[in-house]
Amino acid sequence: MRVLDNVKFKQILAIIWILCAQVTWAQGPPITTDTPVMLGLAGNGIRTFGKFIIKEKVKVYVHPIGIPYNVTSKFQIGAIVPFKVIDPNDGATSKGFSDIIFFSKHQIYKKDGKAKTFRILVNYKHIFPTGNIKSIPRLGSGLHKNYLGFILGKVTSKIGIYGDFGYNLVEGPASDQFSYNFSVGIPLLPQQYPQKQINTFLEFNGNYVFKPEIHTLFISPGITFIPGRRVLFETGFQYPILQKNIIDNKTKFTILLGTRFLLN
Amino acid sequence: MKSTILLRMVIVLSIIAFSFSVKAQSDHSEVKENSEISSDRVYIKIEIMGLACPYCAFGMEKELKEVAGVDKVDIELKTGLAYISTPKELEPNRFSLEKIITDSGFSVGKIEYQDKPFEKLSR
Repeated sequence: MRVLDNVKFKQILAIIWILCAQVTWAQGPPITTDTPVMLGLAGNGIRTFGKFIIKEKVKVYVHPIGIPYNVTSKFQIGAIVPFKVIDPNDGATSKGFSDIIFFSKHQIYKKDGKAKTFRILVNYKHIFPTGNIKSIPRLGSGLHKNYLGFILGKVTSKIGIYGDFGYNLVEGPASDQFSYNFSVGIPLLPQQYPQKQINTFLEFNGNYVFKPEIHTLFISPGITFIPGRRVLFETGFQYPILQKNIIDNKTKFTILLGTRFLLN
Repeated sequence: MKSTILLRMVIVLSIIAFSFSVKAQSDHSEVKENSEISSDRVYIKIEIMGLACPYCAFGMEKELKEVAGVDKVDIELKTGLAYISTPKELEPNRFSLEKIITDSGFSVGKIEYQDKPFEKLSR
């Protein structure tokens, strides 16, 4: 089993310790971890970002557009439509729409306090194989996938901690997957409303494939900038700290750049 | 020598002029604040439990602005408090305010009414 080398592990622990040791204030939503149903951007906005994935043999650009809608304060539905460009180092480029995701989130637990909240939600996603599988490289998976998981979020006026995990049931002979994400958010400016905000996030994004056994884990620092009431800009960087049993075409790094804005 | 004295006089006069300007601005803002206090309005302080993020505050501000007679909503994130005021004849009852808060996904703490503006805790 390939494990983290000692130096890298110590560096990661040092980053976590530095971030957690600070006196912190509340923040906006995390970049790569799912969030509970909240008013504001999570409910009536549009989220779009560009994701540049740099691998050993290919560069991938994914541009999803996410549209969530709060049916009630406890129930949210939405869709994610990804546009993808795959550019192999030694081959033709494929581009077009990839697999569309429909999702729903249902809040099953809520504990509110003074300037703090803790929420747990059930998260269901269905991934439709809408991406072109005849192109080379393929833009879609060609498979229906059903994801069932949980989202947890604790937001206080001092810190934001988010997590999501779930099981991805894949049709046919393809292997099921388990994915997990964790995020800690820390604002760099004092907490007031309304005001400009800059928030930092440290996130971890993991995915485990059962057969063949493949385990990936990324560390993802990021920054969000909130210049006003209706818009948020975000940028993040994902660096692999574990790519177990991936021998060929490993991910070098990923860069995310995006925005969220309110329609009304 | 003369130029040094002149320079000193200019500096002193500038300081005096600046002080008067600041005082005038301060008086003006006091007058403006006093003019906003009206005896025919009711002032309401609402404790919103679970309000802990800027976007939640924005969403809550939009919902509270829908209350008849409310033209301004002040929200303090640190304390989870919202301040509104309406003309007395449009005074919203406790039940309607509680419904707005709970329908928005939050819980309601204390709701207080008075006929003068509340002193904000975070100031």
